[in-house]
Amino acid sequence: MNIIFAIAVGILFGLGTFQILRRDMIKTAMGFYILFTAINLLFIAVGAFNGSAPAYSQNVGVETTSDPLVQALLLTAIVISFGSYAILLGLIAISARRYDTADSDSLDHLKG
Amino acid sequence: MGIALLSFVPALAGLLLPRKLPRTPQTWLLAALAAALFVVLLTYLPVVSEVGHLEFDFPWVPELGLSLTLYLDGLALLFALIVTGIGAVILLYAGYYFEDSAERGRFYALLLGFMSAMLALVLAGNVLTLFIAWELTSLLSFLLISFKNEKEEARAGALQALIITGGGGLALFVGLLLLGTAAGSMRISDILANETLTQHPWYTPFTLLLFAGCFSKSAQFPLHFWLPGAMSAPTPASAYLHSATMVKAGIYLLARLYPPLHETLLWQNTLLLVGMSTLAVGALFALRQRDLKAALAYSTISQLGALTALCALPDYLGTKALLVGVLAHSLYKATLFLMVGAVDHQTGTRNLDELGGLRKTMPQWALVTVVAALSMAGFPPLLGFVAKETLLEAMLRQPLALFVVVFSAVLTVAMAVIMVWEVFFGESRSAAHHDEHHAQHPVPWQMLLGPLLLAAASILAGLNLEGFVTPLIDPTLEKEFELVLFPGFNLPFFISVIAFPSGLTLFSTRAIWRRARVPQPPDAAAIYRALVGSVERAADLVLRSQGGKIRYYLIVILVAMSLLMATGGLLRVFEQPWPFEFSGSTDVLKTALLLFTLGATLASVVFKNHLTATLCLGVAGYSIGGVFLLEPAPDVALVQFLVETLATVLLIIMLVKISPQARERAIANIWSNTRRGLARDIILSSIIGGGVALFALAAVLHRPIPQTIALWHLDNALPLVGIPDVVGAIITDFRAMDTVIEITVFGIVGLGVLTLLTVTKPVGDWPLRPLQALRSIDLRTLRIKRPTPEAPDAPPSAIFDTQTPGMRFATPLTRTIAKIVLPVALLLALAQLLYAGEGPGDGFTAGVTSGLGVALWYIVFGYGETRRRLRWLRPRRLIGGGIALVVLNAVVPMFFGYPFLAHLSFDLPLPANLHLSSTLVFEIGIFLTVFGSSSLVMQAIAQPRDVEEA
Repeated sequence: MNIIFAIAVGILFGLGTFQILRRDMIKTAMGFYILFTAINLLFIAVGAFNGSAPAYSQNVGVETTSDPLVQALLLTAIVISFGSYAILLGLIAISARRYDTADSDSLDHLKG
Repeated sequence: MGIALLSFVPALAGLLLPRKLPRTPQTWLLAALAAALFVVLLTYLPVVSEVGHLEFDFPWVPELGLSLTLYLDGLALLFALIVTGIGAVILLYAGYYFEDSAERGRFYALLLGFMSAMLALVLAGNVLTLFIAWELTSLLSFLLISFKNEKEEARAGALQALIITGGGGLALFVGLLLLGTAAGSMRISDILANETLTQHPWYTPFTLLLFAGCFSKSAQFPLHFWLPGAMSAPTPASAYLHSATMVKAGIYLLARLYPPLHETLLWQNTLLLVGMSTLAVGALFALRQRDLKAALAYSTISQLGALTALCALPDYLGTKALLVGVLAHSLYKATLFLMVGAVDHQTGTRNLDELGGLRKTMPQWALVTVVAALSMAGFPPLLGFVAKETLLEAMLRQPLALFVVVFSAVLTVAMAVIMVWEVFFGESRSAAHHDEHHAQHPVPWQMLLGPLLLAAASILAGLNLEGFVTPLIDPTLEKEFELVLFPGFNLPFFISVIAFPSGLTLFSTRAIWRRARVPQPPDAAAIYRALVGSVERAADLVLRSQGGKIRYYLIVILVAMSLLMATGGLLRVFEQPWPFEFSGSTDVLKTALLLFTLGATLASVVFKNHLTATLCLGVAGYSIGGVFLLEPAPDVALVQFLVETLATVLLIIMLVKISPQARERAIANIWSNTRRGLARDIILSSIIGGGVALFALAAVLHRPIPQTIALWHLDNALPLVGIPDVVGAIITDFRAMDTVIEITVFGIVGLGVLTLLTVTKPVGDWPLRPLQALRSIDLRTLRIKRPTPEAPDAPPSAIFDTQTPGMRFATPLTRTIAKIVLPVALLLALAQLLYAGEGPGDGFTAGVTSGLGVALWYIVFGYGETRRRLRWLRPRRLIGGGIALVVLNAVVPMFFGYPFLAHLSFDLPLPANLHLSSTLVFEIGIFLTVFGSSSLVMQAIAQPRDVEEA
């Protein structure tokens, strides 16, 4: 099952990259979001053990639980990805507003 | 114990002092604060002289041997007294030196920060904390030198000072690490107690590295050239940093490490050579300056050279002269600097060619200057005289050095006379110019108080050595010593007698020797310029390789990264056969959901229409949430669902903010690359995806099952944290520090988006100046100080253009729903909070749930009405309050003797299985921050461009 996860991560990453490379900045933002998702998926896939019960204390010893450590990391990762995404959207909004364009190729004002 | 925190006081005062305070209370409060610190330090004098040294210890990062150790002995105390005493004078002076209140506030903030850093430096009991404080003083010195940052000269001087002292700091860091390793401890007390350091094989390397640090900081030849360049700092800063305190840090460290390290020829010869060259070069060049501050800078360099040379002498011969010298120099040189500031203030110039005859308009200043200059020249009965006598006495056994000392003593006498004569006596040059300035910039009497005090101290200390000076230097000197004003007719006395007429002769013949050309001695300035130049040329070269298309940069980064990952993956992936586990209906479901995710993601790539693509992306995110649920990871799944919703809503609101024409143009351009470009993108994406897949395979095949700490977490969540949800226990307890940082980041995201969207304004034209934008937020109230009206180029005035048919969301039904949803969401959040430990849901999900309720309001009611109706919603206060609560909750256990962030539990009989513990408070803090931040993001994105911040 974990091998399927790994392959899915790779495909998602490829799709995200392709999306990032579009000239449309909104698509670029979506591409980043796909990358975040791919990495989050990898987190769950590398959990140390496959359990069939949630990681609650009452399940310990009765059934195998899922790995709580990767879940805790994942919680943080999801939150931080959302934060990056929000900042990214803010950047796109402000540049789109200022130049009335969402095409990254027409933004060359920073070119030195 | 309280003294351990003393060094934080000035910086805290700088942060907390209300900025709007009028000049008089602000100035006097700060000066009184520094004076109070001075008095507090004074009370330690008897204790220190009795027991030798005091040491306090706060473990900080014990794993690295890093602790907030305080080491207070006579040397540290003397320096700390100088830092606070002169500091009080400078703070008082600066309050009246700066006329613009904004400038004054900025200066105070920097100066108080510096005072803290300098105190931390001299009181440090651990070489690593000493180093951190050392670097802080360099940074603050940089900011103070570039205080008038609109002037290129100030920026160049600041950068030069930073590069020299920062470079020296790097050397010092390595030196201190080697020293600490050699001594087996980073604590200064252990290093001082170690008597075998001079025999250590690393002795030469670490001593030379330490020297590099000390010489760069204390402006020793040939690295001295940054100090005259630093004179573009405001004069109070020059008086404080570049004469009385910071430049003496190098001397301080040399004196600090003198006991265990000085018994080698390497130490003694290097220091003597460098100190003597600095002494001579500084004294010589001081005479050639026409800018008063530059002259004072060179004269400071010369004095620093003498102090360095005193550290070279064997058998503690130089210690007495060193301590007296440090004290005397701080007193008279600060006075002279402050005089220059006053003269500059009154006349608008500090060029000796344009000054003269000021005794008529500034008689009190003339008096103060005469005292300070006489002390500098070494005239009895001032403290400077004692300093010179002790210096000569210490150098008696070094004939060559004695010669240099006498030579520079003559030059210093001439310099002192020049400074008095050419400024205050003689004829007043360009008098009209002066008078015009006089009308505009009279020197307030309060500015005189400080220098007067310092000059009086020079006199009193000289007259009453027993009372003022001996107690200060007594704790440092182990042996019996004699410190008297007039030790009899000995050689030092005769040298003094000769020095005065010679200096006066030199002064009276100044018209002749000023015409002579003295060749510039080689210093490191040329090397510095060459180095900086080559870095700039290299940067030009790099710049030329830049195409300017962001996507290409991304390609380079991503391809490089994926190649790295692929290499790592390939090396490990075929080490063992792939175990193909596929069991049960759960795995079938998971696979189906993954396929669904991939399909939806592909659809979001293929569909050009933004809204469709957004919704496809949302579907993909929800499917991932399903995968998490099946894992089973209910906490993660809940967060994923909520965040996915929030992200989708955010993107949809965003889409409306971009003009439809712009979006249409962008959509039209999505596939408009050439067919070759498209093929290239597909190939690149496949390479990158393949690389990541290989890496992911290697990662899943090598899961570290036996070593994982997860098992420990599973067993200990309930006993140690008291909550059954292990994931929650990790978040709120085992890895709580991560969570603190995480929610801080999340809070900053909210503020950042707000700043981006509502505060930034075009300054001139593009690019945005982020610093300017940041500055316009008042950090204490988190309010925008100057709401910036956007250019009125026809923005939609609500989130959704309500004029367009099909975009009307505010029907009675939706309004009612929105009104009901928000309280329900808050109630749900409350339940998640209270039972965070029992099952899925925690402070974070509670925050996002409530944030979604607010988002609905923005969509239905629009910006204006939402802000009007939800007046109680103050997102920035929520963020600040939440973070404050979390930090407070983390600190409280420390008062009960537990570590930072320790878990506290209270057994209270609460109904409904409620349990009060620090975890609950932590969750509430998380909730507040996340709720605030997500509402703030919504508010920022929904805010129309023509609405000013309320």
